[in-house]
Amino acid sequence: MPAKAYSLEDGNLSNKPIITSQTKTYNDIDLSFKKKTTGDVFKKTDAAAVKQSIKNILLTNRLEKPFNPIFGGDLGRFLFSLDTEFDEDDVRDRIITAVSKFEPRASVRRVNVEIAPDFNSVLVDVVFQILATEEQDTLTVSLTRLR
Amino acid sequence: MAIIRSSDLDFDTIKTNLKTYFQKQSEFNGYNFEGAGLSNILDVLAYNTHLNGLIANLAINESFLNSSQLRSSVVSHAENLGYSPKSKTAAEATVNLSLDTTDTATAVVTIDKFATFTGVAEGVTFTFQTLEDVSAVNDGAGNFSFQTGAGSTSIPITEGSVITKTFIVGETTEDQVYVIPDPNLDTKTLAVEVFDTVTSSTSNTHNNINDSVRIDADSRVFIVRETPNGFFEVLFSDGKVLGKAPEAGNKIEIKYISSNGADANDISTFEAESVVSVSGVNYSLAVTTVSNSAGGSDKETIQSIKFNAPNNFTSQQRMVTSEDYTALISERFSSVIDDVAAWGGEDNIPKEFGKVFVSLKFKDNISDSVQSNTKSKIVSELSDNLAIMSIDTEFTDPIDTFLETTTTFNFDPDQTSSSLENMQSLVDTAIADHFTNKLNRFDSVFRKSVLLTTIDGLSPAILDSGMTVKMQRRLSPTLNTVKNYTITYPSVLAEPDDVNVIIQSTRFLFSGGVECVIKNKLGSNILQVFNNATQDILQDNAGTYDTFTGTISLVGVNIESIVGGDTIKFTAVPLNDDTIRPLRQYVLQHDATVSASAGTQDFQNTKTTI
Repeated sequence: MPAKAYSLEDGNLSNKPIITSQTKTYNDIDLSFKKKTTGDVFKKTDAAAVKQSIKNILLTNRLEKPFNPIFGGDLGRFLFSLDTEFDEDDVRDRIITAVSKFEPRASVRRVNVEIAPDFNSVLVDVVFQILATEEQDTLTVSLTRLR
Repeated sequence: MAIIRSSDLDFDTIKTNLKTYFQKQSEFNGYNFEGAGLSNILDVLAYNTHLNGLIANLAINESFLNSSQLRSSVVSHAENLGYSPKSKTAAEATVNLSLDTTDTATAVVTIDKFATFTGVAEGVTFTFQTLEDVSAVNDGAGNFSFQTGAGSTSIPITEGSVITKTFIVGETTEDQVYVIPDPNLDTKTLAVEVFDTVTSSTSNTHNNINDSVRIDADSRVFIVRETPNGFFEVLFSDGKVLGKAPEAGNKIEIKYISSNGADANDISTFEAESVVSVSGVNYSLAVTTVSNSAGGSDKETIQSIKFNAPNNFTSQQRMVTSEDYTALISERFSSVIDDVAAWGGEDNIPKEFGKVFVSLKFKDNISDSVQSNTKSKIVSELSDNLAIMSIDTEFTDPIDTFLETTTTFNFDPDQTSSSLENMQSLVDTAIADHFTNKLNRFDSVFRKSVLLTTIDGLSPAILDSGMTVKMQRRLSPTLNTVKNYTITYPSVLAEPDDVNVIIQSTRFLFSGGVECVIKNKLGSNILQVFNNATQDILQDNAGTYDTFTGTISLVGVNIESIVGGDTIKFTAVPLNDDTIRPLRQYVLQHDATVSASAGTQDFQNTKTTI
């Protein structure tokens, strides 16, 4: 059976230029769901994909994910505890444990935690390295009680 | 392209299927990391599919009577088959009521209906009441013994509280149903009166449609049914079919008993709650129990509805086949009856054409008066209306046939820590359980291999088992009277044998106080009376036994008294003890007093020492 050919205007994708793009190691959907002009959603790739994943892990509370009750960094719990019941090390340990458990693509290099009891907030900087590319990136998460 | 299977219900399996699909494309590869955005989307998709699958599964299950799990679904399916699941039933007792007064002037004392009594069962106090006025005539010495309107001194009292619900009928277009939010309602006690106006004192009685035999334009009937939340609702005709309907502005008064069901059964002592006033003086009512409270039952279970609804549908509210009798009697009288057997006269021994024989196995503690009343109701409410003309209903009592079992088994002590005695006890218990759970009902067939399989499965230490079974019937003779007796077994008897006795009785006194037994003559079906001590023959021909019909006929036997009991046990060897099928009114039971089990140690050693 002869192969059907269409013009470029009609969307013949087989005639694309040869040099088009480089291979991305990690591809994910951008959870902000912002859309391109074409109507498609944006992607997150490589370090940005992993960064989104780590943020997602840290901001998920336990029992929140269906059928996976232990998933999540469970940082929100600290916001509802007395500031005398935990310190920076507790938060740091929790973050390192959660990322190592649920994100095999990255390794945490450093975690800075700033607790501001007067503002009921915790500011966290997570410096991580992508294992496949050895690229380093920093995720900053601010946790604040709304009420 | 990966196939996404739609039949999986498990969340993880669905998600795995979606991941398998994503493995085949290169656009996104973050699906396999739990924190990735795509993984979150897969979670949502899998969760949604999981829920939809579960809902579809539940919906399909609830669409059929056999697979329904919710009571509301089962009840709805049963109603489609014309079957009304049974509500709670109030327990009933009968008592004698009397007053001992010094008043000789008062001629008659009447106690209005709903006089209350209390009784205690397992520490809980229950209230009983009369459902009709009872009255007593002065015997001249101030003593009053109360009677029902029918003249009986056995006065029924019913457990529960009498509740009244009043409704005002709305416009016809409102299509009203009248909800009674009481799960303890006993539907058999529903009494529905319709008054013309709210203040009217005259009323028309409406009857339960289930009790109506024929309905015309002037009939006044109501329908009661269970609602999905376990309450009840009462419906009336729309005025076009099913007779007359209440009209707008009418007042409907519904009275019923709210009962505690089976909890109030088997109460033996009752006390009157209030005193009776005779000529202005209060006297305590003396209450004597005639029969303990019985017949109380809880709402019909889901399993029972699933079983009874199709049977009831098959009977089509008519009594033609034996199954019709069984289904309708079971449905109406299950609160007092455990089991029903029915058969046509052509199947009876001896044949009696033009009759249907019914045997009822009543629950424990059902008094003779309730039993008699139940039989009357079966005739008046069921067979007179629904059976074929000129076919009479005849009741026969269940006949207990006892089985005597001798069980042997080989036992390897190396396979268990239990002793031989413990193992024998275990076997005895298994046999007793088998008879209690699998037999002890009409139409329950004894199959030896089934029981032996159970015994073999008790322990790996039981290597094999065997059993011999004999049938036993019990005779209550008329003492010191020359009389003929016929005893029938439910199975064919063994042929006479030159070595073994086929028929053997227990001991009784005969011919001037001699302790005797009846056995068949070896190699013959003639029965003889033997001196139990000397084995001399005292009566050469005391009757015969018939192998094929399984009948013993004793002729001209004068029994003076019975040794060790009030019945003589007649044991017979069946032709085939593998299967004993109780026909008609026979019920198989186990006689543990003459049954035994014995184990033999078997170390499974197959080597021979020379």
